[in-house]
Amino acid sequence: MKKWLLFLAVTLVVSCSSIECPLKNLVATNYEIYDSDGLLLELSDTLTIYSKTKEGKDTILLNRGIDIVGFNMAISKSHPEDELYFHFFRGDYDVTDTVWVQKEDYPHFESIECKAEFFHKLTGVRYTKHGIDSLVIKYSNVDYDDTKIHFYLYPDSDRY
Amino acid sequence: MTIRRFIFTSIRTATVISLLLLLTAAPASAQMKFFTLQKDSIPVFRGFSVSFDLVGAGMATFGSYGQYEGSLRVNLHDEWFPVVELGYGRANSEDEVTLVRYKTSAPYFKVGIDRNLLKNKHGPNRLYVGLRYAYTSYKVDITRPGLTDPFWHWDADYSILDYPCNMHWAEVNVGLDAKIWGPLHLGWSVRYKLRISHKEGDFGKTWYVPGFGTNDNTNLDATFNVIIDI
Repeated sequence: MKKWLLFLAVTLVVSCSSIECPLKNLVATNYEIYDSDGLLLELSDTLTIYSKTKEGKDTILLNRGIDIVGFNMAISKSHPEDELYFHFFRGDYDVTDTVWVQKEDYPHFESIECKAEFFHKLTGVRYTKHGIDSLVIKYSNVDYDDTKIHFYLYPDSDRY
Repeated sequence: MTIRRFIFTSIRTATVISLLLLLTAAPASAQMKFFTLQKDSIPVFRGFSVSFDLVGAGMATFGSYGQYEGSLRVNLHDEWFPVVELGYGRANSEDEVTLVRYKTSAPYFKVGIDRNLLKNKHGPNRLYVGLRYAYTSYKVDITRPGLTDPFWHWDADYSILDYPCNMHWAEVNVGLDAKIWGPLHLGWSVRYKLRISHKEGDFGKTWYVPGFGTNDNTNLDATFNVIIDI
């Protein structure tokens, strides 16, 4: 009898703790910047990234990033393609590239107490080549894991 | 995510350790006796009883989730009680902060056995310890109406509809059962539930599982039973 009561006490103690919502709950893409030799590059140009809202207004997603080697970028919740404008600026160097990121969107659920969120699978990327030499997908799953680098950005090789 | 996995692992480990301690603590002779019937003049087969849980029914009726559950129990010498439990669990809930809606309803079943631990087995009251295996197959609807993208302002269709899932779990229960009048008994039980395996979608995990309760690796709940000997 005592053993059963001991077992009950142990199970009561061990069954009482859990965390419902994840502490890391930001879903975004991560970029790293590389030079033409494949070395991590500190971008000396000022980089601003913006997009257009449904209403056609500009929305700033990265404001005047300078001396950066990487950044994280918002991703739309449920839309097959994001259109982003990468604006490089320094002195008389002033160019803008358009980047189209194609993706699949999946609703993600943890609990009704946790905010509704989407995870994504990157399926393709296209871009103009004024200030960008190339932009490649390195990791396609976009979720709560902020340690993964999704894109490698190679700026114009004539400048770096 | 890492913290949660650590907690789940700790819970599972502690449960397994406590079960092993329980088994190893019992001497071999006692384990042999565990499955025997007390010798006396009372016949082995003592009839059936049916019971209905009022706690789960109250939660299902007045709350956002719960279950209606009944059981059929065989009385073997007032000592062993093989039992089959059937239930119907339902949830229809919306969180007032996140506005996420969750809906499911499905039947479930449990099979297992209880043992009366009292020395006076044939008395009017019983103290049970029991084990159960349980299973349910269910579908979920999870929606969040009116969700818009914070940057682009597009409508975001957050809906998971009619998604099939299932779960196997085990239960350890401890309960009391007191004779009130004639064939009528009242009793309560506390149930510790341990998930064995589950199939859920790529979308994450489900929230309420019929018969198991709100989803986690483990769960603890209580029942208050009306029992009638037949």
